[in-house]
Amino acid sequence: MRTALTSPVAYALFVLPTILLYGLFFLYPMLSSSFYAFTDWNGLDDYRFVGFDNFLRALQDERFHKAILNNLAFIGFSVFVQIPVIVLMAMLISSVKRLQRFYKTAVFVPSILSTSVIGILWGFLYEPEMGPVNRLLGVFGIEPIYWLADPRWALLSVLIANAWQWMGFYIVLVLAAILAIPKELHEAAVVDGANGWQRALSITVPLIMPLISVVVMLSIAGGMRVVDIVLVMTKGGPVGATEVMASYMVNEAMGIDPNYGFGTAIALIIFAFALLLTSLYQMTFGRRMEGGWF
Amino acid sequence: MALKRVVPHAVLMAYVAVVLFPFVFVLFSSLKGSNVEIATDPFGIPKSWRFENYAEAWVKAKIGVYFFNSVYLSLASALAAALLAAATAFAIVRMRFPRVGRGIYQTVLIGMFIPGNVLFIAQYILVMNLGVLNTHWALFLPYTAGALPLGVLLLAAFMKSLPGELEEAAIMDGLSSAGLFVKIVLPLTLPALVTVFIVNFLGAWNEYLLANFFISKDALRTLPTGMVGFRDAFRTNYALICTGIVYSVAPVLLLYAFLQKQIIEGMTVGSVKG
Repeated sequence: MRTALTSPVAYALFVLPTILLYGLFFLYPMLSSSFYAFTDWNGLDDYRFVGFDNFLRALQDERFHKAILNNLAFIGFSVFVQIPVIVLMAMLISSVKRLQRFYKTAVFVPSILSTSVIGILWGFLYEPEMGPVNRLLGVFGIEPIYWLADPRWALLSVLIANAWQWMGFYIVLVLAAILAIPKELHEAAVVDGANGWQRALSITVPLIMPLISVVVMLSIAGGMRVVDIVLVMTKGGPVGATEVMASYMVNEAMGIDPNYGFGTAIALIIFAFALLLTSLYQMTFGRRMEGGWF
Repeated sequence: MALKRVVPHAVLMAYVAVVLFPFVFVLFSSLKGSNVEIATDPFGIPKSWRFENYAEAWVKAKIGVYFFNSVYLSLASALAAALLAAATAFAIVRMRFPRVGRGIYQTVLIGMFIPGNVLFIAQYILVMNLGVLNTHWALFLPYTAGALPLGVLLLAAFMKSLPGELEEAAIMDGLSSAGLFVKIVLPLTLPALVTVFIVNFLGAWNEYLLANFFISKDALRTLPTGMVGFRDAFRTNYALICTGIVYSVAPVLLLYAFLQKQIIEGMTVGSVKG
């Protein structure tokens, strides 16, 4: 009677396509990366094993150091600039009755758009001669700034565009956690005479800490992964001012003179950094914030 | 008291203005006659509404081609991934091979912890070796594969919550496992399938890195890469570039207008679980 659920053939047919595709595009690339990373393969000629040369070359390259620092800038900007604003906005949205849905829907919009379109859009906003950003600053008598061409401003410009894209997404995430807090807690605090700020700091913030911890984790992962917006807006320039690890990898490995061995070594370094930072965070701050979430 | 009520709205409205301003600016600029008009009056409404810009961009920039490529690639890979993930989730959750199921589930979930661009170069080599570089297979296969881990995770969780009696009854009626899957499980899983489909679709629609390096034939480009090429080619014609932006943003916004609940839910649930 139960053959429908116990047939090994049917089982295999259900899972095999997934296993094949997944194995081919996840497991195999992971293994082959670990292999190519120790070679000098350029895609055409024979390759030879070079030991840890690729890794050493990357770790000794000052441009790669700059790229690592820029990845850390992405993470730092998310954690110390974006997250406070995100939490504040989410609290404000949760505090209003009228227009709550509108705010939620509106702030989420940028996160459904393609990063490449956002890069183009912001490139236009930053345009030195006629872009609205400089036009607006011009009203206050500020001379035009070459946002994306000036190494002093380029990274900040990309960070702001990136923040514009993703903040709404996190606001909605935090908002959901705030709205899930039982109303009784706030009512009890009101009875005890707590004002709005006191309630926010002593009820809302502690209760959403587990989720903020998740947001920090996602920011770390996102900051390690970032590449699209850099490639579209600046290609890592000017003179490496906005280079991140992944754009360095793409520029080095996929250029006119491809070097897949070197590229996969960088990929593994990115992976190792991501693992290292996430586990460091988990061991230090993350654990304290683990709450009964989910 | 009145002030207390106004302040949150004032702050939120300012934030919403910052979020929405670029869209309004691009929409107005796309209808302006020249760079001069954009430059002299960047915040104003166009003097004469130049809808011809849209026809011009559609033809000149081959937006129609990119648009069609993006639509069918995103639809195909989102659908394929949703169905494959559903079949796998069904087998590992409902069929009677718990130990194999757990093994498959855990292996597939490892994929959620590997940042996409780490595999990028190895996938490029793979696609080259498969001989599909510069064809749409080079995007369809990795897009579909990339959507599987989250799909299996969400659908397995959903299918676990379905009552067991339903399939018992179906088996009594003599349904095979395929019949059970298609006639009973898929319809019941529809809400979760829609969520998974939307997340997959947006992912493929917006993907840039693979699309940029795996496809170099202009006629095969998708919107994100086509748009960048378009910008680089028409650097000086801002109205035309803005038209292109409107073309690539409008369908997503339209989708969002109808399915905002599912989109928000799908994207946020996906990120937190991963």
